[in-house]
Amino acid sequence: MHQQMSNAPSVLVIGGGSTGCGIVRDLAMRGLDATLVEKGNLTHGTTGRMHGLLHSGGRYAVSDQSSATECIEENRVLRRIATHCVEMTGGLFVQRPEDEDEYFQKKLEGCRECGIPAEVLSAEEAREIEPHLAGDIERAIRVPDGAVDPFRLCVANAADASRHGARVETHAEVTDVLIEDGAVVGVEVEHDSGEGSFVHGDDGEREEIYADHVINATGAWAGRIGEMAGVDVAVRPSKGVMTIMNVRQVDTVINRCKPKGDADIVVPHETTCILGTTDEEVDDPEDYPEEGWEVDMMIDTLSDLVPMLSEARTIRSFWGVRPLYEPPEVASEDPTDITRDFFLLDHDDRDDLPGLTSIVGGKLTTYRLMAEKISDHVCDRLGVDAECRTAEEPLPGSEDFSVLRDWMDEFGLRSPIGRRSAERLGSRMDEVIGEWDGPNPTVCECEAVTRAEIHDAIEGAGSELNAVRLRTRASMGNCQGAFCCHRMANELVPEYDEVVARDALDDLYQERWKGERHALWGQQLSQAMLKHMLHATTMNRDADPATTGEPVEFGAFDSGPDASVAPDAGAESAGNSDDAVADGGTPGSGGTDADS
Amino acid sequence: MSDAELPSSTGPTAQDDFEPVSVFEDSEMDLRPGADNCYKCSVCDTTCPVAEVDDEFPGPKFQGPEQWRLKRKEDDVEIDDSIMSCSNCMRCDDACPSGVPLSQMHNTARGAYVDEQMTKLSREYVRNRILANYGTLARLGSKVPRLTNFVMGNSLVQKVNETLLGITAERDFPEFATQTFREWWAERGGPQVRSEDKRVAYFHGCYSNYNTPEVGKAMVRVFEAFGYEVAVPRQRCSGTPMFANGMLDDAERAASVNVSELSDLLEEGYDVIASCTSCSMSLRQEYPELFQLSGIEEVAENTYESLEYLRIHEDLDGALADASVDEQAFAYHAPCHARNQGLDRQAVELFREVDGVEMEDVGDSCSGISGTYGWKEEKYETSMKIGDDMFEHMHDAAGEVGMTECPTCSMQMEHGTGYEIKHPLQLLEDALC
Amino acid sequence: MPIRDDVVVVGGGLAGSMAALSAAESGAQVRLISHKKSTLRQASGLVDVLGAVDGEAPISDPFAAVDRLPETHPYRIVGVEGIREGLRRFDDVVGDSYRGSHTDRNALVPTHGGTIKPTARYPVSVAPGLASAEEDTLLVGFRGLTDFDAVAAADHLAATGVPFDVDGAVVDFPIRFRDDARTTRLAQALDNDQDDVRDRLAEAVAAELDGHARVGFPAMLGDDHGPAVRAHLEDRLGATVFQIPTGPPSLLGMHLEDLLIDALERAEIRLSTGNRAVGYETADGRLTAVTVDRRGQTVPYHADQVVLATGGLVGKGIDSDRETVVEPLFDCHVPHPEDRYEWSEAEAFGDHAFARFGVVPDDDLRPTDAGGDVHFPNLRAAGGVLGGADVATEKSAAGVSIATGSYAGRRAGEEAAQ
Repeated sequence: MHQQMSNAPSVLVIGGGSTGCGIVRDLAMRGLDATLVEKGNLTHGTTGRMHGLLHSGGRYAVSDQSSATECIEENRVLRRIATHCVEMTGGLFVQRPEDEDEYFQKKLEGCRECGIPAEVLSAEEAREIEPHLAGDIERAIRVPDGAVDPFRLCVANAADASRHGARVETHAEVTDVLIEDGAVVGVEVEHDSGEGSFVHGDDGEREEIYADHVINATGAWAGRIGEMAGVDVAVRPSKGVMTIMNVRQVDTVINRCKPKGDADIVVPHETTCILGTTDEEVDDPEDYPEEGWEVDMMIDTLSDLVPMLSEARTIRSFWGVRPLYEPPEVASEDPTDITRDFFLLDHDDRDDLPGLTSIVGGKLTTYRLMAEKISDHVCDRLGVDAECRTAEEPLPGSEDFSVLRDWMDEFGLRSPIGRRSAERLGSRMDEVIGEWDGPNPTVCECEAVTRAEIHDAIEGAGSELNAVRLRTRASMGNCQGAFCCHRMANELVPEYDEVVARDALDDLYQERWKGERHALWGQQLSQAMLKHMLHATTMNRDADPATTGEPVEFGAFDSGPDASVAPDAGAESAGNSDDAVADGGTPGSGGTDADS
Repeated sequence: MSDAELPSSTGPTAQDDFEPVSVFEDSEMDLRPGADNCYKCSVCDTTCPVAEVDDEFPGPKFQGPEQWRLKRKEDDVEIDDSIMSCSNCMRCDDACPSGVPLSQMHNTARGAYVDEQMTKLSREYVRNRILANYGTLARLGSKVPRLTNFVMGNSLVQKVNETLLGITAERDFPEFATQTFREWWAERGGPQVRSEDKRVAYFHGCYSNYNTPEVGKAMVRVFEAFGYEVAVPRQRCSGTPMFANGMLDDAERAASVNVSELSDLLEEGYDVIASCTSCSMSLRQEYPELFQLSGIEEVAENTYESLEYLRIHEDLDGALADASVDEQAFAYHAPCHARNQGLDRQAVELFREVDGVEMEDVGDSCSGISGTYGWKEEKYETSMKIGDDMFEHMHDAAGEVGMTECPTCSMQMEHGTGYEIKHPLQLLEDALC
Repeated sequence: MPIRDDVVVVGGGLAGSMAALSAAESGAQVRLISHKKSTLRQASGLVDVLGAVDGEAPISDPFAAVDRLPETHPYRIVGVEGIREGLRRFDDVVGDSYRGSHTDRNALVPTHGGTIKPTARYPVSVAPGLASAEEDTLLVGFRGLTDFDAVAAADHLAATGVPFDVDGAVVDFPIRFRDDARTTRLAQALDNDQDDVRDRLAEAVAAELDGHARVGFPAMLGDDHGPAVRAHLEDRLGATVFQIPTGPPSLLGMHLEDLLIDALERAEIRLSTGNRAVGYETADGRLTAVTVDRRGQTVPYHADQVVLATGGLVGKGIDSDRETVVEPLFDCHVPHPEDRYEWSEAEAFGDHAFARFGVVPDDDLRPTDAGGDVHFPNLRAAGGVLGGADVATEKSAAGVSIATGSYAGRRAGEEAAQ
């Protein structure tokens, strides 16, 4: 059990999404003794299943102006402090002939009212920016939307927090909230594989972590944690589908300029485009139906904006669950009416339970502001007087860097590979790639991820290849891991045992499959079949005796033309293949299965 | 045109060739959607003759779909300079089981690279421009053929070429004929056979005009023997050396002349015949992939290689069945560009049956020269390494005369073995006329 | 003049090649039409006949297990005799380049992923590495090659219970090529013994050798001069050298393709490569020609009998969109669930319907329509385009192609002769 290293007050943050990571960074920078626990990988919850949109606020300029204003302010901050996580793509609100002029005007005015820079473009001007827009669009409003990579953002926040002395534990699920004398004093967690980096196969262990204050930043799971503490936090989770295209048909965020509705946005994300989304309330943030009609709707509806989407290849679809919260008295019926605003629930004030504060609602774009607010609140409670500097200090990786360097000269990398690596690593490029010793081949060719970057991720993630994937984008390209999953697993050896690598590979393979199932037609179906052939036929991973544990009767198989196996010895045991396992095969070839 | 051309696919009809998606005439072509077909099988890499001998070259899979997919529109520096090591042999196109438009991606990337990343005053650029515009220089040089031959054959000149420009001194410059094909054609008074419904327009290409007019003459004689009226339109270079060097503007200028002239003849009932498989490749595939000139699709659809045309429209097998020639043995090499048109077997299958002919195929490797590629001083060795297999098989084959449809392959074959090299049209002429 | 043959085979992969060779044996004039390079280059080069049935794996006697396959399986249609006939023809084609015909038993071969897999025919360079041969083994990998980790593979192999000691060692390829150099480049360097690379490699490996009787490398020990490369290494190492089949790009797959092409040329089969078959012509309900696209125009190839061997989802003989699955050339019926979510299972290695997508043949390998009637009386199908077999799970891909290709070709040739 960890002891307090100083007299600084201690805070425990539950939840490793954008909010939680932002909070632990802020608190650590203010000098508090901060700990974060997350049940899965960082971004396990909504953060890892969002659109990748860095809001300009335009989407709320009509319906939720306070959200919109916060968005544009934080948009500016993140552009500064998270440069390697953000791509300033710009955004367009596109009006189709059937969309109302009145709404277009309201949108434009709303943007201006919220301080969101907005410019009207003609259809020709819009198509000059994005040639693949439909030929019959009317006009568009240009706003400073951007694309954000939530994984890199959280990893950077957590890394900065650690740098400032915080403790970050993933694969550590809170199993109980500890209450003593009517106040929350900490939590009990179950570490999946012991403290520190996740390692497949290592035993779990329980730990009680005490803290002066506990922050519940678990988003869609806030209600669950609340329950453990005996308080009611009525989160209303609502699911939304996101369909990932294989390539970037557009390089700008394309919004449909009409009142909120399904399938109205295309967001460029790294090497892909993400189509979104739907809004359906669900009961359980972890168990809800993933339905094909939602995928079809994305493609069919958004083809009205970008026609080539109807025939383009998708590589997977996934669903995210929005952690919506509204004060119980509002009781909206339609989840699309629920505010996207965030709420700080101090359970002392609200439920007479000191030591616990929940933060619910909100959106990724405003994560830093949410973190600032709750950190202010908690510091106030704990009598800590410290400034928030999270808006000024760049995140690790976002210090000064350029993507325009001579990649071959400096790092021995082909320019597209160097550039993509730098887009991901930012200012850490020299440290990760530059200081790598030995050959640096490309491990994931689709996404241009080199061995050095994989190893950097393994350092942070342990043997969890899904976490390595989130940090590097390896296996997120068009082959969905067909050719690199096993290469990634190879990189784990010899630091980790082969058995660990094998388990990790299975986990990653299955995780990739889960989302790929939603894209199984056309070219992606052919891709999946090729993947299946490679892994089942060529590598025999589906009937691997090492994994099934079934003993193999080696003596019953061909051991070469010169071996002492009579040609028709096979015929003898042909009828009783079960016996072949027990009996030592043919005379002279020995080899029982006793020790396999 | 002002609207986006969608990648064609009405329902699950198997891989149509990818249609170039472009909106405005001068906007950059965005080939990222071409990467949708790629399923990373690496078969293209296994057929790349450059990747096999040059470890600096990452292969077509990276050069094409991977590199394109990683691109963002506003990137300044995008294309890896290894694109200049691609010889444009186009074997990758022929290999891809999934219909990825590899050559289109490579040509476009190369054009963008030369446009945006190559210094126009650099030695490399100047040299490439010269090689790419061989046709123009040949036109000048052929006016004084003997002098040109003398000068270009001078070893000092070759040395200077190499040092100054980077054109290898290892190869002998092709000799200019004393009378070009076009001069011969004019002298004989044009077509000697008239026909209302059997008409072919001959796209002779630079080489058959300036250097080996005997090929052109063979074409005319053979086609006239079958009753065709031959036309020889005004024409510029087909663009093959320009694509390979990323000089897409030069290629487009030449293409607009060619398309215009050929379109006119198409309207009069002519089909277009080329004797060089790279010329026919260029007109049939690269033209519609890279340019949007009016009439370009029709020209592409109605262009044939010379033997191919006769096989389809005449009973060539029948005509050859009765033919016989003096005993001769040939070592035949199928040009890489011929493969993509399905023409790699035609010479061997056609002449196999002719009395007196022994025709052996020297294998399916690339000759190595790949047009202007093997003329570049820094690529010369690579080109010879690639050609190793072919040279070996040529020596092993019974014949001491080589045969191929591609002029630069023919240069390479001669350079590596010393054999005399002929065009199948010449054998056809021998057998039928 | 119309191009006319007795038999046209569409598809130049393993099934198509076997069909063409088979048809030619009956004296028919055969033409093989192929668009691109075959999917053999993606495959390991091994010939799997049947390695798993009903959850039992690996099975040692594929012939004895055929009965346990469903009635609709292609093997049940051609029968064990059909499989044997196909393999006989295959053995003729490959001659000394392959082993395995001395026994009905499957062999267990190490994979580049580190486990073992059952197979029926294997290249001669793979033979010394069989897992049933009890010889201590050293696996060698190259530091710059990410696909094969020798240490992981050795540990993995040991975990399968192989009856010998196995160790793994990683060495640097003796010539420092660029990190993304293709395996064809490395193989070429070994072919030409560039910079004494063979000796230098042997030296690096010798340092890791410790009483091992055999040494296994990923399959890139030379392309054209493989035997010489291996002999050289064996001589210097004093141990047998074998190759481990890899995934794509697969040099062993390329060799198999070369062997097939040689056989096709010896049999004087006409090859039309480079253009895609896009349609067909009929008369009186029979096929009269397959039409091939040559850039905008189509050329008919006339024939009495046609064999469809265009492959499955990977070879693009079977295609799909969000709603349906089709066979795009002749529009043969391809049964599939209406809900595309039933095309696959939740488990990555589940019993996927898509793995069995293909045309439904009658007992003469002629594709049938939804009602069970023969689609065209003179059309047969072979290989991956056939449905009813999950060749990936069964480890039966090459076997199905060879058996059905042989059968369909023979029948096409017989019919054409009448």
